[in-house]
Amino acid sequence: MNKPKDYTDRCRRIANAFYNEGFRLAQIRDLTGAARCLKRSLAFDKYQTDARNLLGLIYYETGEIAEALVQWVVSSNLQQENNRATHYLYEVQGKPGRLEDESIHIHRYNQALLQAQNDNPDLAILQLGRVVEHKPNFVKAHMLLALLYIGQEDYNKAGKSLYKVLQIDKNNPKALWYMSIVKSHTGRADVERRKLKNAFSHHQMEDDDIILPPSYKENTGWQMILQIAAGLALGAAVIFFLVMPAREEQLNDSHNRELAAVLEQVNQKSMEIDGIRSDVANMEAERDAATAELAAIMDENGGVLSQYQQLVHILQAYRADDFQTAVELYTELKPEAVSDEGMQSVIAGIREDMERRGYQVLADLAGQARDAGDTGRALDYYQKSLAIKPDNPQVLYDMAMVYQGRGEEDQANELFGQVILNYPDTEPAAKAKTARGY
Amino acid sequence: MIDFEEELSHFKPSLEVEEVEDAIVNSDLTDMADVMMSLIKEGSKSVKSDE
Repeated sequence: MNKPKDYTDRCRRIANAFYNEGFRLAQIRDLTGAARCLKRSLAFDKYQTDARNLLGLIYYETGEIAEALVQWVVSSNLQQENNRATHYLYEVQGKPGRLEDESIHIHRYNQALLQAQNDNPDLAILQLGRVVEHKPNFVKAHMLLALLYIGQEDYNKAGKSLYKVLQIDKNNPKALWYMSIVKSHTGRADVERRKLKNAFSHHQMEDDDIILPPSYKENTGWQMILQIAAGLALGAAVIFFLVMPAREEQLNDSHNRELAAVLEQVNQKSMEIDGIRSDVANMEAERDAATAELAAIMDENGGVLSQYQQLVHILQAYRADDFQTAVELYTELKPEAVSDEGMQSVIAGIREDMERRGYQVLADLAGQARDAGDTGRALDYYQKSLAIKPDNPQVLYDMAMVYQGRGEEDQANELFGQVILNYPDTEPAAKAKTARGY
Repeated sequence: MIDFEEELSHFKPSLEVEEVEDAIVNSDLTDMADVMMSLIKEGSKSVKSDE
């Protein structure tokens, strides 16, 4: 024989199983089925608190607030701690006036039911309309209203009430039955049957068949205009955000390439200009050199050409046996300006002759000038004589005397000093010492 | 088709808020475990009386 504990455990397990099924049905909004399972669960175990609380919630959801309160009060009495029912009770009873309003609507429903059962459906419909307006989840009121509309053959209004019921309790059997009757009278049943037939029909589609989506609607004029405007705006946005940046980037690239090509050309031209400038500078340098060379050649005093002319004059003086003129011309000659080797040998012969006897002619000319009182000319001849033959103490002494006579003591003393130091054993040196007062 | 009168007779008044207290007091909370326990008790009593 089984012990009592075994029976109670079995009952609890069965109650749990019914609760789980009721919970599952409640989640898919099959509230009628869920309530049936939960009641069975409580029949096996009255302490199944979750089942009782959920049953109360289902009553509350279908507008049966008094039934919900009964379940939650019983639940909170059977399990006083850690019970969600106390929270539900607080929520319902805590708001002032809430229960009174609920009571009024439930009372109106009961009155409407009484009126309906006493052949006064119009009044009942009025009452029920006000009830469902304030309590849109009151399933019983919707159901009674739907039945009354069906009784008056107002199937559309009945269908609306039933639709609301089925939104709250999807598998309410009576509502489904009423709805089937309503649909059969409104033609909705045929439409649904046709849809169902089409949905499950399998026929070969022709090439010209067009499948229209359920959301397809013919456009009105205004809708068409709005759609065109929206399309234009979308197109403009696409152009502005997608096409324009790409085009702008393309133009920038093109301009950059053109700019690079132009810069390269500019660089090449700059290089060419630099080369031309360099050539011009070289040519100018060459021109300057040529000009200088030409000037050197054409210079009347020291120029090459004038030196050749001077040399020709010297040779002519030699030919005329005018040695004095030849000597004077020689003093103006610059032999280094004549590069011709043949002429250099002629110049060398003349120089040898000048060093041998030409310097004395100049010294004599200087003496004549000195005697004539032309000291400047005398000094010039002395200088020319010394140029031909520098180691000539007599000329140096005579030159010093001229300076002394002109009162230019410094130059005179310097020349006296040169004579004394460089030619000490000569007669001019003795004279120089005397002149200096040694 | 619906038998309107019959359908209407199936509708019951909704429990009003004022009736909640009575409903709680009068609610039958007997469950299957209670039934089993009473059956077991009755069974054990009858066994004792037979003895």
